[in-house]
Amino acid sequence: MARFHPLTVTDVQKTIRDAVVVTLEPDDPAAFAFLPGQYLTFRHDFDGEELRRSYSICAGLDDGLLQVGIKRVEGGAFSTWANEALQPGDRLEAMAPMGNFHTALAPDAARHYLGFAGGSGITPVLSIVRSVLAREPKSRFTLVYANRAVNTIMFREELEDLKNSYLGRLNVIHILEAGGEEIDLFTGRVDAAKCAQLFRLWIDVEGADMAFICGPEPMMLGIAQALREHGMSDAQIKFELFASAQPGRLKRRAVSAAAQSQGNTCAATITLDGAVQNFTMPKDGQSVLEAAIAADMDAPFACKAGVCSTCRARVLEGEVEMIANHALEDYEVERGYVLTCQCYPLSDRLVVDYDQ
Amino acid sequence: MADTMSIADYLARGGVLSNPENVPPRYRAELMRLMATFVDSEMAGSAGFADIINEAPGIAERIAAARIVLEKADHAGRVLAVMAEFGADTAKYATHQPWTARLARDADIGPTRSGGDMRLSVFHYPLEGWLDAVVMNVLMGRAVTVQLAEFSRVSYQPLAEAFRAILPVETRHAELGEEGLRKLLEDGALEAAQASVDYWWPRVAASFGAADSTRLDQQRDFGLRHRSNAELLADWRADTAALLAEMGLRAPG
Ligand SMILES: Cc1cc2nc3c(=O)[nH]c(=O)nc-3n(C[C@H](O)[C@H](O)[C@H](O)COP(=O)(O)OP(=O)(O)OC[C@H]3O[C@@H](n4cnc5c(N)ncnc54)[C@H](O)[C@@H]3O)c2cc1C
Ligand code: FES
Repeated sequence: MARFHPLTVTDVQKTIRDAVVVTLEPDDPAAFAFLPGQYLTFRHDFDGEELRRSYSICAGLDDGLLQVGIKRVEGGAFSTWANEALQPGDRLEAMAPMGNFHTALAPDAARHYLGFAGGSGITPVLSIVRSVLAREPKSRFTLVYANRAVNTIMFREELEDLKNSYLGRLNVIHILEAGGEEIDLFTGRVDAAKCAQLFRLWIDVEGADMAFICGPEPMMLGIAQALREHGMSDAQIKFELFASAQPGRLKRRAVSAAAQSQGNTCAATITLDGAVQNFTMPKDGQSVLEAAIAADMDAPFACKAGVCSTCRARVLEGEVEMIANHALEDYEVERGYVLTCQCYPLSDRLVVDYDQ
Repeated sequence: MADTMSIADYLARGGVLSNPENVPPRYRAELMRLMATFVDSEMAGSAGFADIINEAPGIAERIAAARIVLEKADHAGRVLAVMAEFGADTAKYATHQPWTARLARDADIGPTRSGGDMRLSVFHYPLEGWLDAVVMNVLMGRAVTVQLAEFSRVSYQPLAEAFRAILPVETRHAELGEEGLRKLLEDGALEAAQASVDYWWPRVAASFGAADSTRLDQQRDFGLRHRSNAELLADWRADTAALLAEMGLRAPG
């Protein structure tokens, strides 16, 4: 089960108009040992409702700091709060660092790394850049960094400083969506065509060992395609995607007042892959999962023992009893998520959705 | 950047997901199912082979069998670690099924799963002694290699990486099986080996799943599958039949 550890905010720096860099001091530093490229998942209570959001660590291994960069998303709950309300002295909670967006560093390696970042996607790449430059003195890094305009570039000065501190080992190519630059190579979007141009003139992909990509979906697709066309294998391309399937602020679940139990059967409505099925099921002896399968639905399951969470679904209406749960956390249960292999109806009517 | 795209489109165009946060509910379910199938098969395979160690005819064979038992358990653990990031309770998972349980040798379950776990059907049949275990390991070892090559391309990057690390080790298990089988054949076990091949061939073939799996389209859209069961099966048949022929054995029908 996920464990959260407390941290204190020691600094909040506004870098560009809509982004902050937050420095954190953990109560238990050992819990926050990280690999460059990993992220922290925070939880915060918004009016009695817990939200979880992940932010990549942007500090390098040798910076002696725990730092994340948070860009404000229009209408976004957590990112707006972090940008507008978060202050030094505030307490936060986060899980230990997670994620696979990294590669093992070796002090005598002489590698050429490529990094592609779009907007706030710079954060994990920056951690990797910093760590590679400090820990692999013979390696070099080429960073392609896409932004809308000059004033939206996060960590612009930090990158300049790194270039100067590690002369000749860091090359940064800025690409701006909205003009300003003279050469047209450096404006527009980073897609497969732009990459092809870059690789022809500026970047030696064949001589590169590893590529890291973090940005919006279309950009990731375009770059990955171009890298593959230049001979990179899947094992050499690392992705980090910021897209979140985490639930947003709650639309409260309808627990109808008339949900109390009367008969021995339950009228169930179950949605799977957009298809809705209605059937009657007994309240005893058959789990919601078994009932769905008996109704010819291809409902997902693996362990049937409440330990894997493959059978997870969301109860939209009605009540169930979950007899075992070793896989869902309280905050998921609060939102109506259940392990259908362990659930038996209590109410006369039940609406369950596997697609949420 | 303003240009975003739905996760469904992104996946359909070959996009890669990198962490549990990215994963939409139905993708999550298919991914968990795929991982559970692998974990349960490795656990059951390892458990079944453990009993065979004591039947090994020599020290090299004993070491080979012990290594297979060890490494298959390790592979189960690696994929279970990916499941754990989605909330699975690994300690309970590792013991929630009797992994040594087997059906009767002549049970006929086709490609269906039975019992409470997700192991491939082939792992429900009992091994009968050293030679039988070696033959099963050769045939299934080749199947695992074909299946892992496919699954090394899954769109969930942490799992694809786990499979890419596992593939060469599983390939080595298949080779250990081949070495063992060649030795048995040198000692004149042709007829017994052929009987084992006849027994295991259709059962390993069934582990590729139904040719007309309805789930495949969705798995393809998710980037969790690229080739069909029928294509993978055809690869295995051709590849393994050639190997058997070279050893003087025959692939049934
Ligand atoms: C592994 C991982 C690492 C991450 N690292 C960082 C990081 O280092 N820095 C950072 O700023 N963010 C990062 N993110 C994104 C971050 O976790 C949140 O998704 C983001 O801050 C929005 O959360 P919110 O609560 O403010 O918005 P929500 O309240 O969840 O969303 C509000 C609205 O904005 C939309 N939206 C949500 N996310 C995005 C997005 N990324 N782009 C455009 N629209 C969106 C939603 O669809 C919704 O309509 C990371 C995400 C993941 C999965
Ligand atoms: S199927 Fe594993 S928890 Fe329900």
